[in-house]
Amino acid sequence: MILTPEVLTIIIVNIIFIIFTLIAFIISIKISFQWNRDATTQLQYTLEKQSFLTATIIKYIFIIKIPLFLFFIFTLDKISFILPGAMCGAGVVDATAYGSPLFILKILNLYIFSYWLFLHNEDIKYENQPYTKLKFTLFNIASLLFITELIVEIMMFNAIDTTKIVDCCGTIYSSSATFYISDFFHIGNPILLAIFYSNFLFMISFYLLKKASLFAISNILFIITSIITLIVFFGTYIYEQPFHHCPFCFLQSDYYYIGYFLYTMLFIGTIFGIATGFIPSSNEIKERRYKISLTFNSFYLLSVSLYPILFYILNRVWL
Amino acid sequence: MKNSFNLYLLEFAINALLRQKSKNFFIVIVFTFLTFLLTSVFYITNSIKYELDTTVDTLPQLIVQNMKAGRHYDIDIDTVDEILTIEGVEDAIPRVWGYYYFKKADVYFTLIGVEEFENQYTKTLSNVVKKIDFENSSYMLMGKGVKKVMHENYYKDYFNFIKPNGTLKKIFLGKSFDTQTELESNDIIVMTNSDIREIFDIEENLATDIVVKVSNPNEIDTIARKIQLLYPTARVVTNKDIKISYQNIFNYKSGIFLTLFIISLFTFFIIIYDKANGLSSEEKKEIGILKALGWQIDDILKEKFYEASIISLFSYTVGVTLALFFVYILQAPLLRDIFIGYSALKPSFVLPFIIDIQTLFLIFFLTIPIYISATIIPSWRVATLEADEVIR
Amino acid sequence: MIELKNIFKIYETNSIEKVTALKDINLSFNEGELIVLKGASGSGKSTILSLIASLSKPTTGEVIVDKKKISKLPDNFASIYRRDNIGFIFQKYNLITTLTVQENILLPLIPLNLNISLAQKKLERVMKMFQIEHKKDSLVKNLSGGEQQRVAIARANVNNPKIIIADEPTANLDKKLSLSFIEIIKKLKSENKTIIIATHDPLFFNLDIVDREITISDGTAIL
Repeated sequence: MILTPEVLTIIIVNIIFIIFTLIAFIISIKISFQWNRDATTQLQYTLEKQSFLTATIIKYIFIIKIPLFLFFIFTLDKISFILPGAMCGAGVVDATAYGSPLFILKILNLYIFSYWLFLHNEDIKYENQPYTKLKFTLFNIASLLFITELIVEIMMFNAIDTTKIVDCCGTIYSSSATFYISDFFHIGNPILLAIFYSNFLFMISFYLLKKASLFAISNILFIITSIITLIVFFGTYIYEQPFHHCPFCFLQSDYYYIGYFLYTMLFIGTIFGIATGFIPSSNEIKERRYKISLTFNSFYLLSVSLYPILFYILNRVWL
Repeated sequence: MKNSFNLYLLEFAINALLRQKSKNFFIVIVFTFLTFLLTSVFYITNSIKYELDTTVDTLPQLIVQNMKAGRHYDIDIDTVDEILTIEGVEDAIPRVWGYYYFKKADVYFTLIGVEEFENQYTKTLSNVVKKIDFENSSYMLMGKGVKKVMHENYYKDYFNFIKPNGTLKKIFLGKSFDTQTELESNDIIVMTNSDIREIFDIEENLATDIVVKVSNPNEIDTIARKIQLLYPTARVVTNKDIKISYQNIFNYKSGIFLTLFIISLFTFFIIIYDKANGLSSEEKKEIGILKALGWQIDDILKEKFYEASIISLFSYTVGVTLALFFVYILQAPLLRDIFIGYSALKPSFVLPFIIDIQTLFLIFFLTIPIYISATIIPSWRVATLEADEVIR
Repeated sequence: MIELKNIFKIYETNSIEKVTALKDINLSFNEGELIVLKGASGSGKSTILSLIASLSKPTTGEVIVDKKKISKLPDNFASIYRRDNIGFIFQKYNLITTLTVQENILLPLIPLNLNISLAQKKLERVMKMFQIEHKKDSLVKNLSGGEQQRVAIARANVNNPKIIIADEPTANLDKKLSLSFIEIIKKLKSENKTIIIATHDPLFFNLDIVDREITISDGTAIL
C-alpha cells in the first residue's frame, strides 16, 4: 500500500464523491421510473426539486474532477520516484493490473460528465424539459461507471507494491512489448499518419456538409488516431529520441509540461465535436460548437505536427 | 451568458455573509484553524525533508557493510582492494565509527574516526581533519550539540569513554565545528582511528564499513549490484536507498497525522452541515422573498455557492498565510517536536523556507471540496423551499 | 387575461393530514382591473396570489396568464415569468434593512447580470416614479415608514410588470400610510396594470377604483 499524503487526499475526495454520487444515483433511479412532466402530484414536485440536487451534485463533481485529474497525474509522477524502475507516470500505471483500465475509465468519465452537462443545459431551455428521462438514464450509467472508477482507483493505490520492480515506459511503449500497443507499431508510420490526417480532413468536410453525426463520429475516431500517432510518431519528435514513445513523460517539467497543453486541446476539441452530433440543439449553437471543436482540434494538430517539422528544419534529417 | 461571473451576485453574497456575522465567523475560524494546522504540518515536513535531502547528499554514495546472522558486523579491510578493482569505482575508504551511549545525559554520540593522510569521504570531514592536531593523540573535535552536553555535565577539559572491558579512555576536548547542515553535525565527535578502535575494541584489520565513491553518479546502482555479486552476504546501501527510506518514514508519520486529520475533517463536515442546515426564519424568509422577486432555484444555488467559495477561499488563504508565519518566523513551537524525534539530542536547527505549489494544491484539495460538499445539501434545501409558505 | 380554472390546492403536511386550501376555484380577471380578494386569514386568498405568481402549483386545475399556461412551468421558466410579469408587494415590505434603497430595488435584477447602464435606467425610472430618488444611498433601516413603503413598491415595479400582487399590504400600517398606499395604487391603475389585492382592511371596500370584490371563504370563491 502506498500512502503518501497525495494519495490519501485523492482517496478522501473520492469517498466524498462516492457518497454524493450514490445520493444522486438514487434520485436518478426514482426519476427514470417515476418522472411525469404533466403530473401535479406531490411526488412529481418532489422529483422536480430533487432533479436540481442531482444537477448540482454533478456540476460540483465535474468542477472538482478536472483539477483533481491533473492532480492525479501529478501524483502518479511523484509516486514514480518511489517505485523502483519507474521513471514517469507510465510505470505507475503499469505497476498494477488496475492502472490502465483506471486511466481509460477516468478519461471516459470526463467525456461522459461533460456530455451530461451539455445535455442538461439544452434540456432546461425548454418548458417541457424533453430530455429529462434521457438525461437521468444516462446518469444512471454514468454514476455506475464513476463509482467503478473510484473503487478501482482505491484498489490500485492499495495494490501498488513499492518493493516490486516495474517496467519503464521504454519497455511498455515499444514495438516489442506484449501490450497491444505493439501492434500499432507494426502498422508503420506512413499509414498511421495518413489515417490521422485524413481523419481530420473528413472532419472538416463533415463540417462543411453540416453532417453533425458524422462530424461527431469523426471526432471520436480523432481521439483514437491522435493518441496512437502521438505515441508512435509525434512523441518521438517531442523527445527527439527515436525510441521514446511514452505518452506520460512529456507531462513532466523536462518538456515544459507540453503534455498538459496537448491533451487539453484534444479534449476540448473532441468533446465539443461529439456534443455537436449527439446533442440536439439549435443551429446557432451547433455552429458555435463546430467552430470550437475545429479550432481546438486544429491547434492540436498543428502543435503536434510542428515538432517533426521543426526537427527536420533544424537537423535536416528525420528520426 | 448565464454562466458568466456575476459581480452583482458576488456583492450580494458578501453582504449576505456579513448579515449572518456570528455564524459565518465561527465557520471561518474553524476552517482557518484546520487549514492552518494542516499547512503547518506540511511546511514542517517539507522543510525537514529538504534538510534531510541536503544531508543525504553529503552522505557517501555507497556503503558496504558486513552482515552476519542478519546483523551488522565489522568488515575486513582487504575488501577495499577488491572493490577498487571494479570499473567505475573512484575510491573505497574504510570507516571506523560507532555510537556511544552517554548514560548520564541519556544521549547517543556518533564517534567518527579519521586517519591523517587518507582520503576523507566528505568535504566536511576534510575540513575538520585539518583542524586536528595528530601529534597529540587522544583528542577530539565535537559538534555543537556535543559541546553543549559536555558543558552541561561539567566536562571541561576531557571526557572519559568507558571501554567494553570496563576501563576508561580519557580523551581531551578540542574545538567544536560547524557543518553544512546542522542535522548532520550535532551529535558527532571526531577523533583518530586508533582512539576509536580502542574505545570500541575494533581490531586493526577490521573496519565498521566501507565507503565507495563512484565517478559517474548514474552508475551507482550498477556498481552496487556488482559489489553485491562479489559479496552476496554483504549489505550494500546506496544514498538513493537512504533517501527513499527517509521519504517513507516521513510519509508514514505524515500518514498518521493525516489520519487524525481525517477525523477532524469529518467533524468539520458535520459542524458545517449542521450550521448550514440550521437556517433562521429570517434567512428562510429572505430566500422566499428573492424567489417571489423572480430568482430561480439555480440563482439561489449560485449565490450559496459564491458564499461558500468566499468563505473557503478566504479561510484557505488566511490559514496558509498564518501557517507560513507560524512555521518560518515563529519556527513552529510545539508542532515541530512531533516530527523531530530522530535522536535524543534535539537538534536545534532552523527550518529552511520551502514553498512548493504541489503542497498548496494538496491542501486545497483536502479542505475546499470538503467544505463545499458540506454545503451542497443544505443549500439545495434552502433553494427549494416553498416560497409561499415562508412569506406569510 | 388571468384565468384560474378548476383549481384545487391540497397541502399534504404529512402523509396522513391533508389541508385543502382551495376548492374548485374558477376566476378570471381582465387586463387593467383592480380586484380585491376579501376574506379572513386562512381563507385561501394568499394561496390564490401564490398561484397567480406561479410561486406554487395547483394540485389540479390550470392557471392561465395571457393565454399561457403557467401552472406547470419548470422552476426556471416560472421564475422568469414572475420576474417579467409580476410585481409583489408584501405585508411587511420585506426589505433588507441593512442594504441601501438602491440595493433593495435592484434585488430582482441581480441574477440577470445586466450591464450597468441598463440597470441604472430601470432603477432611476422607478425611483423617480415613487419619489425616493433623494434617498437612494440611505440604508433602509434609517427610513420612515412611508419611505420604506415606497421602496417596497418601487422594487415591485422595477421590471415594469403587468400584474401587481399585494398580500395584506396595509395590515401593519396606520391610516395615513394606508391612504398613501391607496394613492399609489391609483397611480398604478392609471398605467393599466392589473392589480390584485388580498386584504381584510375595510378601507379597500367600496373604493371607486376597485373593479371587483371577490370574497374567499374556506377555500371557495363567493362572487
